[in-house]
Amino acid sequence: MSGRSNDMYLTREQERILSGERGAAKELAMTILAKVGEALGADSLVPIKSAHVLAHYSSLHEAGIEVLEKFSSSGGRFAVPTTVDPASVDLENWKSFGIPEEYAEKQFRLCTAFAKLGGIPCWSCAQYQVCNFPKAGETVAWAESNSVVFANSLIGCRTNKITSGLDIACAIMGMTPRFGMLLDENRVAQVAFRSAIDRPTDLDYRSLGYYIGRHSGSRVPVLDGLPKKVSSDELKHLGAAAAAGGPVTMIHYVGITPGSGSLKSASGGERVETFDVGRKELDEVESDLNQSEEKPDLVALGVPHLSVYELGQLAKFLEGKKLKGGTRMYAYTSSQAYDLLERTGVKREIERSGARLTHSTDAEISPLKRLGFEVVMTNSAKLAEIVSSEGAVKIRYKPVAEIVEEVTS
Amino acid sequence: MTKVISFMGRVLLEGRAKGEALVSRRAFTFAHGVEPSTGVVTDLRSDLSGENVREKVLFFPFGKGSTTGAAWFLETVRLGNGPAAVLTQTAEPMIVTGAILGEMLYGRKIPVMTDFPPTMAEILRTGDPVTVETKRREVMVSREG
Repeated sequence: MSGRSNDMYLTREQERILSGERGAAKELAMTILAKVGEALGADSLVPIKSAHVLAHYSSLHEAGIEVLEKFSSSGGRFAVPTTVDPASVDLENWKSFGIPEEYAEKQFRLCTAFAKLGGIPCWSCAQYQVCNFPKAGETVAWAESNSVVFANSLIGCRTNKITSGLDIACAIMGMTPRFGMLLDENRVAQVAFRSAIDRPTDLDYRSLGYYIGRHSGSRVPVLDGLPKKVSSDELKHLGAAAAAGGPVTMIHYVGITPGSGSLKSASGGERVETFDVGRKELDEVESDLNQSEEKPDLVALGVPHLSVYELGQLAKFLEGKKLKGGTRMYAYTSSQAYDLLERTGVKREIERSGARLTHSTDAEISPLKRLGFEVVMTNSAKLAEIVSSEGAVKIRYKPVAEIVEEVTS
Repeated sequence: MTKVISFMGRVLLEGRAKGEALVSRRAFTFAHGVEPSTGVVTDLRSDLSGENVREKVLFFPFGKGSTTGAAWFLETVRLGNGPAAVLTQTAEPMIVTGAILGEMLYGRKIPVMTDFPPTMAEILRTGDPVTVETKRREVMVSREG
């Protein structure tokens, strides 16, 4: 007896693919889907509308290049629209950011393989704001934890947090194993958070998300008490922080998430453990993530990528101000938003202050230490969590208004 | 006298393994959390910070962090620094995917089991000699005393 919990159902066509009758790339993809699906207790494979995959060198390493090139060199093609998370370098201006050539070369191998597979080169971790927007009820297979929370919580579609390797396999087959967040019973809230923050700042939304991530464990959270005017950008950052603080893949936002009109309906009528989150809790998160009071050598804004609207706001913040010496400021966004900001003149407004706009990459996956940065200031809880957990670079975690106040004159 | 404590779990990837337990009581991730070229846990927020996962029977309750977890796990395996087995309380797809790719690409078999009773986290200690035997869905811990 194998001890396995179940065998996954495969159609006759899927069996054929598995035995190599449809080529090497599909055979490899189907093998990964079948094995992962079976291990995780999936009963079958279901079709997806889109995929979002990972192809940045800093996390994929040599092994990840090997996986992607194995697919691209054996005739693989994505079967559904497939977008991609940011690269480890600005794909256009990498030289001017001091990226060593041999490092960029590794990233370009991943870019080449991704292009060969027929992907949409958006290189953004907020792809749902630029070029990959499913409709409610659809199933997708997205990597990138913040996108997964956004998809499940705000768009109302269904996705698991698809990890690297599995992501490419899903995109090639246009299907994903049916388990976890694809099933109704796993989408019910099991822990509740009640927030009563008066006029939250940009940092408050992120700290609140991080608090939820830290205290949910592997349970699905529901959040009540957000201001009515909360924007999708603010929820993007809240969700990203939650997914950085714990294994969160969905948050029921009361009154916002489709089908979650109240705490009760989100939890299926069950009583669940409830956390009240006030100023004290947010201050705790802030002092936990803020590790230094030293002068920053980099201000990094945009983990996840800032939207066109957010960058417009940043331009207003920076109006008439100049960065003080010794500090750089990078604002990270998609190449689509970058082009738009270039055409509308907002890029010039931002850069007049000495700050730089950078696209197709993001701070947490770029080689910050290698570029010589030691103290990084940010309002991103996700960046703070990742960087501080590595310990190589110190983080100062502050609201954007305080950051601009401190580093400009 | 050596006492053997046994825990039953659900098998995600088959195999057998023997090694010293490395036990975390917090969410764990390989992504930005384990240095693939050494196997050392670099995550300062982990209670295993500074320990080495190489050839250990790694236990943690559930995963966290970036979806690149499988890639970091795979690179660790590629460089010969992977754990002997991974045991969790909640199934962690990133570990499962990384371990499957590790076997497909580099021929290293790493058994993965999950859904252990909550008491396991309290009883199992870092350094315990552990045998993982997925055929019997069992993990055996030897304890002196």
